[in-house]
Amino acid sequence: MRSKSKTMLFRSLALHSVLVPLALLWLLPLWMMFVFATMSDNAIFSPDIHLIPSTQFGENFAKLQGDIDFVRTLIVSVVVAVIYTFFSVALTSMAGWALARYKFLGRGLVVAIILGTMTLPYFVVVIPQFIMVARDFGLSNTWFALIVPPLFNSLGVLFMRQAFSLMPVDLFDAARVEGVSEWKIFIHIALPLSRPMLAALSIILFLHSWNNYLWPLLISNDRSMMTAPVALGSLFGLIDVSWGGVMVGAVLLTVPMLVVFVFLQRFFMAGITAGAVK
Amino acid sequence: MRRRNLTAYGFLSPYLLIFAAFWLWPIIYSFYLSFLSTRRAPWTFNPSMTWLRITQDTAFYNALWNTLKILAIQVPAMVFLATVLAVLLNSQLLRARGLIRFAFFAPVVIGEAAYAAVFRLMFNTDFGIVNKTLQAIGLSKVDWFANPSAAMSLIIMAVTWRWVGYNAIIILSGLQSIQTDVYEAATLERVSPRQQFFHITLPLLRPVLVFCFVLSVIGSMQLFAEPYLITNMGGPGGATETLGLFLYRQGFLNLNFGYASAIAYTIAALAVAISALNMWIGRDRT
Amino acid sequence: MASVSINQVTKQFGAVSVIRGANLHVEDGELVVFVGPSGCGKSTLLRMIAGLEDISSGDIHIGDTMVNDIEPGDRGVAMVFQSYALYPHMSVQQNMSFGLRMNGNEKADTERRVQTAAKVLQLKPLLARLPKQLSGGQRQRVAIGRAIVREPQVFLFDEPLSNLDAELRVQMRVEIARLHKELQATMIYVTHDQTEAMTLADRIVVLRDGLIEQVGSPLELYHNPANAFVAGFIGSPRINFFTGVATEYAEGHQLVQLSGRGSAVAKVATTEALPSGTLIKVGVRPEHFEIGGACGFPIKVDVVEQLGSVSYLYADTTSEYPLIVARQDDGDHRSDELTISIRAGKALLFGADGNRLR
Repeated sequence: MRSKSKTMLFRSLALHSVLVPLALLWLLPLWMMFVFATMSDNAIFSPDIHLIPSTQFGENFAKLQGDIDFVRTLIVSVVVAVIYTFFSVALTSMAGWALARYKFLGRGLVVAIILGTMTLPYFVVVIPQFIMVARDFGLSNTWFALIVPPLFNSLGVLFMRQAFSLMPVDLFDAARVEGVSEWKIFIHIALPLSRPMLAALSIILFLHSWNNYLWPLLISNDRSMMTAPVALGSLFGLIDVSWGGVMVGAVLLTVPMLVVFVFLQRFFMAGITAGAVK
Repeated sequence: MRRRNLTAYGFLSPYLLIFAAFWLWPIIYSFYLSFLSTRRAPWTFNPSMTWLRITQDTAFYNALWNTLKILAIQVPAMVFLATVLAVLLNSQLLRARGLIRFAFFAPVVIGEAAYAAVFRLMFNTDFGIVNKTLQAIGLSKVDWFANPSAAMSLIIMAVTWRWVGYNAIIILSGLQSIQTDVYEAATLERVSPRQQFFHITLPLLRPVLVFCFVLSVIGSMQLFAEPYLITNMGGPGGATETLGLFLYRQGFLNLNFGYASAIAYTIAALAVAISALNMWIGRDRT
Repeated sequence: MASVSINQVTKQFGAVSVIRGANLHVEDGELVVFVGPSGCGKSTLLRMIAGLEDISSGDIHIGDTMVNDIEPGDRGVAMVFQSYALYPHMSVQQNMSFGLRMNGNEKADTERRVQTAAKVLQLKPLLARLPKQLSGGQRQRVAIGRAIVREPQVFLFDEPLSNLDAELRVQMRVEIARLHKELQATMIYVTHDQTEAMTLADRIVVLRDGLIEQVGSPLELYHNPANAFVAGFIGSPRINFFTGVATEYAEGHQLVQLSGRGSAVAKVATTEALPSGTLIKVGVRPEHFEIGGACGFPIKVDVVEQLGSVSYLYADTTSEYPLIVARQDDGDHRSDELTISIRAGKALLFGADGNRLR
């Protein structure tokens, strides 16, 4: 018989001696992002190792702003993400409600098509999407092009279908007996009761849109309608670019999401794992 | 009941309209496109310029090979690491849980452009912190952007850094859905923690692990932004050019939509096949 | 208020028949209880009246209106659910007024109705609370209040008390009986608890496997069950069944020799003689035994339940249905070996098909 407390102590030490260094390693790129953002380009490209933030954040921001008017691209990104999230939540929760609440002709088919085609890579649709929006409609560099095509995302449909089907049917039946219309049942009962789910879904969708890279890269190459990640990426290949400035851009892209992540971690985790359980 | 059918379609149709226009129709259209020669107008039916060409294009095989390398190395390594992480993070003994979880989960929210920029600087050949550290401990520096295998390792490291936490979250939730009384019963029957892990935890986690594998396979097949942004569009000399990047080059730089569609369908077929293989290997054998 | 009639109503879920031709007329102002074991179709029948389930064939009238194709909200019914079905995000006040508000009822009228219902149910101090801040009994009262506010033609109750503990259940039972008296409303009430049915109902409808077995007043069902199933279902503790063989018939009484009980004989008034030797099922309620007697049989008491006013003696406890005998004294009869006999004229006879032989 070994002593229980000794075993525990040994296990705890082993656990932390693995996890702590690994965690520090994982934090390093994030930390370096902030450090780089505060260093002058000369300091970044110098032979010394810098691990402590410096003081050049303002200067770097000014250079970035001079290079690509980053604030404007951030505004585009925010507007796109907010509108996209709103519409995606609205459309997909309505669809999820229909699939969870009603037995209707073709329900199985709709679910099968959505589930089946979602396993196909995005590449299969991006070319026709591009031809349709850019060439046929001539809508490159518009809000429509940035916001509407990505609304196909069915994550919310599956997510909200799950949420609604877990609610007790009696609630909706009670309202039905009271003569409340189906639309009002949806608005006044189903939606308010799924607030945590809606929050989780909104966070995930906002993040999707905020970080979306390929579609905005294809469809929005005009300076006035560029999203922030695309604008930042466009600097990488240039010779005469301020890397301190680029890192300021990276920080500005990342910090809002980190704040959301820290304060709404519960919803965030729910959003990620809900995709896994289906 | 007809009235309820109508109500259901009323709720469904706005989404369905978008879904049909921007997902269902494009799937069909790109299949049609994959048989067209689109190099010059007017587009003509000519599968030899798409499907036949794909079988002969060395650039395609290079991209396929690179993608398979990432698939074979990065996916198993990452799922393994994510499993270990999830088990460790689930430990009752863990201190500073919030901070340690933050370290692994934070990369999940970081966009490709932002982290690509950091990795470029950290792995910079002359001034990056990685090479400086290597030299400080007496190793020679690595030319991460000019050496083909080093560039590939860089992509693999970057993708793993970004996605391991995501997978760990999923596996962690799988772990936490296992009833604790199963372990209590096993402990009372003198089953060791190691045996518990291999005979209880792993079998119960299997569906979740299969899910992670499938998700990562589909993700890797679509890898685009990392080689585009970190290794300068698949450099050096195409050593990190993935199928996604190859498709981007054909479709959106050369504007050869027909060929790109054939590539897209090839990627889709491979992704489905490899996912199916994963599911078959991880199937319920009982 | 209105009557409800159900004519030849059936319900199929795919190949499964849940209701197999039900006929019933509920009078205006009557409280009718549907009772039966789980899966007998009683809840389905109630939900068909509410309009929450489609009717496969037959028709349902509320008042003079055929309601088969009328939406639930337009049928003039109110329903109380087993789960209460209170909207968790709304206060008591909002819960009660929700239906009226959504249908554009005049504000002052809605408020008046809520206040009246709250007064009747002593909910006034709770109006601002959320459902999660209420006890089970209070939630049930809110659910009932929500039904009252609608001023419906018919109240429907779907096992409303099964989520409450025993004491509250008795309380709420009395409360519902009082409400029925006060509102003079037509009420249809579903339960699997025969005590609830006995205490509340004007008439009881006993269902089994989608068929109505018997309709009648509580005492009618108790004293005059139409078949062995109703006899077994109504009455607590349960009726005792014996197998027996018909012997003589004299002076309007049939004698039945109980099998395996020595010389025990049951004497039952019937209209005509049974052929001698007919196999019969004999039902005897626990209070219809007496100690001693001429044609008795011996039992050994295994367990005694002393309830104060009455004691129940259990014998043959290893068999599926123990023999239960009621006694009006407080003595400890455990391990007693007694001779008991059936009170003259108190047994019920059933044929091999389970139907009552009168």
